Amino acid sequence: MKYLEQEGIRPLNAAVKKNGKQWNLMEKLFLGLTLEQYVSQFIRNKFNWLLGIIFAIGIPLIIYRFIFGLGAVTHGSYDYPWGLFLGFGLFCMVPLSASGFMLGTTVELFGRHDFEPIERLALLNGLLGYLFAVVYLLVDLGQPWRLGYPMFYSFGPAAVLFLVGWHVATYLSVQVAEVSTSFFEWIGWPRAKQFVRKGAIGLTVSGIILSTLHQGALGALFVYAPGKIHPLWYSAPFQWLHFFVSSIPGGLCMVIVVSTVVIKTMSWRCDERFKDNLDKLTLGLAKGASMGLITYLVIKFIAVAHENEWVYLTTGWGAWWLLEIFLGVLVPLFLFAYGIHNKQVGLVRVAAFFTVAGIVLNRLNTALITFNWKLYQEVPHVFEVIISITIFAIYIATYRFILNRLPILYAWKAQPVEVTVTETVDEKTPIEADQELVGA
Amino acid sequence: MIRNLTWHIKGVLLLACCLFLALPAGAMDSPEALTIDTLADLYQGVEFDHQMHVDLAQDCSACHHHTTGTGTIDLYCARCHDSMEEQATVACQDCHLADPFSAAAIQAKGETNHFHVDIYGLKGAYHRNCMGCHEQMDGPTGCQDCHARTEAGDAFYHSGKFAPLAAGATHEEH
Amino acid sequence: MSKLSRRRFLAGSLAGCAAVMAAPAKNALASGNLAGFPDGMGVLVDLTRCVGCRSCEAACNKEQQLPAPDQPFDDYSVFDQTFHHGTQKRRPTEKAYTVVNRYESKLSDKPIYRKIQCNHCNEPACLTSCFVGAYTKTKEGAVIYNSKVCVGCRNCMIACPFHVPAYSYSSATDPVVKKCIFCYDTRVKHGKPPACVEICPSQALVFGKRAELLKIARERIERHPGKYQDEIYGEKEVGGTSWLYLSGVPFEDVGFDTSLQKEPIINNVKDFLATVPMVLAIWPALFTGFHLLSTKGKKHGEEDQHAEKHEGGEQ
Repeated sequence: MKYLEQEGIRPLNAAVKKNGKQWNLMEKLFLGLTLEQYVSQFIRNKFNWLLGIIFAIGIPLIIYRFIFGLGAVTHGSYDYPWGLFLGFGLFCMVPLSASGFMLGTTVELFGRHDFEPIERLALLNGLLGYLFAVVYLLVDLGQPWRLGYPMFYSFGPAAVLFLVGWHVATYLSVQVAEVSTSFFEWIGWPRAKQFVRKGAIGLTVSGIILSTLHQGALGALFVYAPGKIHPLWYSAPFQWLHFFVSSIPGGLCMVIVVSTVVIKTMSWRCDERFKDNLDKLTLGLAKGASMGLITYLVIKFIAVAHENEWVYLTTGWGAWWLLEIFLGVLVPLFLFAYGIHNKQVGLVRVAAFFTVAGIVLNRLNTALITFNWKLYQEVPHVFEVIISITIFAIYIATYRFILNRLPILYAWKAQPVEVTVTETVDEKTPIEADQELVGA
Repeated sequence: MIRNLTWHIKGVLLLACCLFLALPAGAMDSPEALTIDTLADLYQGVEFDHQMHVDLAQDCSACHHHTTGTGTIDLYCARCHDSMEEQATVACQDCHLADPFSAAAIQAKGETNHFHVDIYGLKGAYHRNCMGCHEQMDGPTGCQDCHARTEAGDAFYHSGKFAPLAAGATHEEH
Repeated sequence: MSKLSRRRFLAGSLAGCAAVMAAPAKNALASGNLAGFPDGMGVLVDLTRCVGCRSCEAACNKEQQLPAPDQPFDDYSVFDQTFHHGTQKRRPTEKAYTVVNRYESKLSDKPIYRKIQCNHCNEPACLTSCFVGAYTKTKEGAVIYNSKVCVGCRNCMIACPFHVPAYSYSSATDPVVKKCIFCYDTRVKHGKPPACVEICPSQALVFGKRAELLKIARERIERHPGKYQDEIYGEKEVGGTSWLYLSGVPFEDVGFDTSLQKEPIINNVKDFLATVPMVLAIWPALFTGFHLLSTKGKKHGEEDQHAEKHEGGEQ
């Protein structure tokens, strides 16, 4: 796209072309480029080569899994029923997708409209994270075609997983609604967008309720297995709080991570509003993440004190736990503190990567690594690893597809905006542009 | 007079000869050998050498508990049964149920004498009673040492000609 | 805000909350004072009586129509089998709902044999963790499983403190949980003992009402001081199980997990489940309150439907 930019060709960012005609759907899908331009930039992009290799190996393996069953691609056993599909795909991706309700709450509920430029990215991050968590789940379930059973066919309401299922399903709808505003802008259905916006507060409040409960519920799932998870990662009264509280820095830092990747690899898609505000917003997100992290640190130690588990810290597992806390909580906290104070956005971004890694490590530790700590250690099957990477690659590809097109990183205009040095006065403001679109 | 005395002496001598027959207390009409096959199905009946066991045990109550009028060796049971007379029958199955876990038997347990609630069923009684001595006195303890398996038994245990096949091998029937 | 906008705002919030409330209310199970199943049956396993003949495994295989085993049931070399670098002995699998293992103990010159199978807990963790209600605790005490509704989430395998449920991973079209069902359909439902109990030659297994079995077990301990450990495994473990064990040597020596909690597993999640309706009820007002408190008089964003410009009610 950089090459095309040099040629003076811009991807579309408005409803009508420079000559006043409306873009049609196909043209919108191809970013307003000709087929030739689109394909050549697609092939030029080396990341697509990597994706191609991953898909060539991984997609046949996914098909293989469905033909030959879980036993053929995982080390799923009677002692270790859950592997990477759930351990990573569900338990790691869900806390990292907490960005949806975090930014929704910040902007819509607390009225912090200065975060608006990044709000849509956070909402999309949340939606795709949950959507692909469900994809991982479908690959993991023994009988995925029965996924709907707990919804309408056979209820087990005392089970924590019942709550998770219902909430994830409901929350996905909430998130689809929240992201749909960008979609309706892009596709040109303004009334649909208006309709959704009316319920914005309600949707946001529902989002917080559902998120609190299912982020916590994923933690509560492990409370069914008290002896099986190492005591340092297990806490009967507080497990759900640990998972819920850690999802806050998780979601916020995932937004920082994604926005970093986006600004470095697809800045052509970001508009001035996004680019100008990103650093300031990154620092703002970092402040929220730090508060979440320090709280998480404290409640982890409270849990250790509550069960008097201090002696475990002197064991091998204890050293591993301390390492997880160090890398995932302490290092980011210091980096955040320094970075926020001195307004060094680069440091803050590094800290965000550490936090995300820390969350992933914590969930993998709880679900896989310290699970059955009294028994033999289990290692995931190589096919399981490949399939997990493949699904993650599909997630990235989908993410990029949507970011390239929908007005997430840029504001949708009624008319294309010419970004030249001289033009400032005549440029329509976004609200007025919207008004024109709506015809108010 | 001397002729009368001779008859008396013969009578006493005759009686004396009979006395030794009364000596083995409670010997009754103990069978030499019998076949225990009440529960035979997976295994054939046991060809039981009763006489040998009589000679080894000396005391009937070692196996027949308190039913032979010879007291009982179990101190727990002795409290009530030490001075019991001979019962009409000493067969195991008359006190030990062949089906101890039927609904009726379980129901009856609720009304059973507290001390009889944990009595063995017939199969358990056979095995527990015999194995104790056999282990101490190097008697037979393996399953087929006392009763050979039937074909139904072989099928049940997936053994013998019903054993799982090694990879690639085949055999007839089934 | 104009009256018109406030109405819309309330309508939107209520719509959102209704969507959330539509999720079925969680039943907080009252399991703290469960009286138990008064007519529940059980099995007392006396490890001092088991001779390791494996007849129970054979009987189970036949009764439940399981696939042919890899070795004959009278092959005792299986007692030497270990898995995972010698750390595990045999365990119930999708083809064998019960197995017998052999243990050595310094306190016994004879080896001790233990039969392993589902313990049919009074408050089964598998049942409480199943989100489609595939498990049922029958009044006879059996914990049975409905493979027709099972989605294959395998949460029951995570939850079972005894690591009992097996899963038929080998099947791609109908993988299901496999475990001992107490011969419910064919026997216990009709008042008959399970196949393993019926076949046991040394009466190591006694079938009866759980309450009666506890009395019998206590009686045995009292009657033979020194012969048994003064404990019935399964009496209190995870809320009590239907399968009870007596042992002559410490239970840890024969592979039992003696660190299990005495309360049912569901007690661990009860507090969280009770929080759920509270959050559902409190969060709406709480966060709507935050919204009203923090945004009054503030500049509204670009997207906001009740921006100051529209206060005249143009919409």
